[in-house]
Amino acid sequence: MLSINYPKIENKSYPNLELSLIEPMHKLNLRGKNREFFTKVGKQLSIMLPVESNTSATIKNISALWLSPDEWLIYGKDVDKNLELSLNKEISNLNIGSITDVSDQWVIINMKGENVFEILSKGSPFNFNEFKKSKNVVAQTLLNHIDVIIHNQDTNNINLLVRKSFSEHLWLWINDSSSFL
Amino acid sequence: MFIINCPFCGERDQSEFSAGGEAHIIRPKQPTELSDDEWADFLFMRKNIKGIQFERWYHAHGCRKWFNVVRDTSNDKIHAVYKMGEKPPIK
Repeated sequence: MLSINYPKIENKSYPNLELSLIEPMHKLNLRGKNREFFTKVGKQLSIMLPVESNTSATIKNISALWLSPDEWLIYGKDVDKNLELSLNKEISNLNIGSITDVSDQWVIINMKGENVFEILSKGSPFNFNEFKKSKNVVAQTLLNHIDVIIHNQDTNNINLLVRKSFSEHLWLWINDSSSFL
Repeated sequence: MFIINCPFCGERDQSEFSAGGEAHIIRPKQPTELSDDEWADFLFMRKNIKGIQFERWYHAHGCRKWFNVVRDTSNDKIHAVYKMGEKPPIK
């Protein structure tokens, strides 16, 4: 079992690149398909889940990321245990969809600066040309052969979600790559 | 290496996908009535065509959805991509 102190990540700065860990952060995985699911989630979160592929919706302190046609990930300062319990009560318990707490599965690394996509392009097969020009877009892809979710929230400001057990390895790779900037 | 146009995520590199073998293999309605040879045919025998082949692919490092691809196995050119349950756009 992984230690709760894992991964050991300290904020770092490189030329035109700042790296920081955005943890602890509550994260919920939502799955559902029918209209009732969308209505209930909309009421609970005050946010409409994005139905367009590779996009996200952000209101105040909650971001909802599109993962697949029937799956979303929500995270943010306003996502907490109480929200999870109320979503469970309204959705999971009534078999309208499913709510899973994935807070300990994913780690969020924030990357800021003009060199963000320089680093990502080094180790990912994804084409960032259009992605980096758009805000509130999401890509699930590989980075250094590791599954990642990239949330482009603002110009040159992304949140990189990586599975906890891979996070330190990816963090070391990012730092190693950044040292060549 | 080639680009696959995932019907859910858009164009992505092949390395994000896993090949799932030949598509449109229909499961026998009464498996218990099949002979061992017929069952082995259903389970193991594939066409392995050189040319246009109907295949299943899985976007393993993306949306994690299965879909169908019409691919020319001789040059990796993709002629069509369509969702599971849909009829092939090419015969």
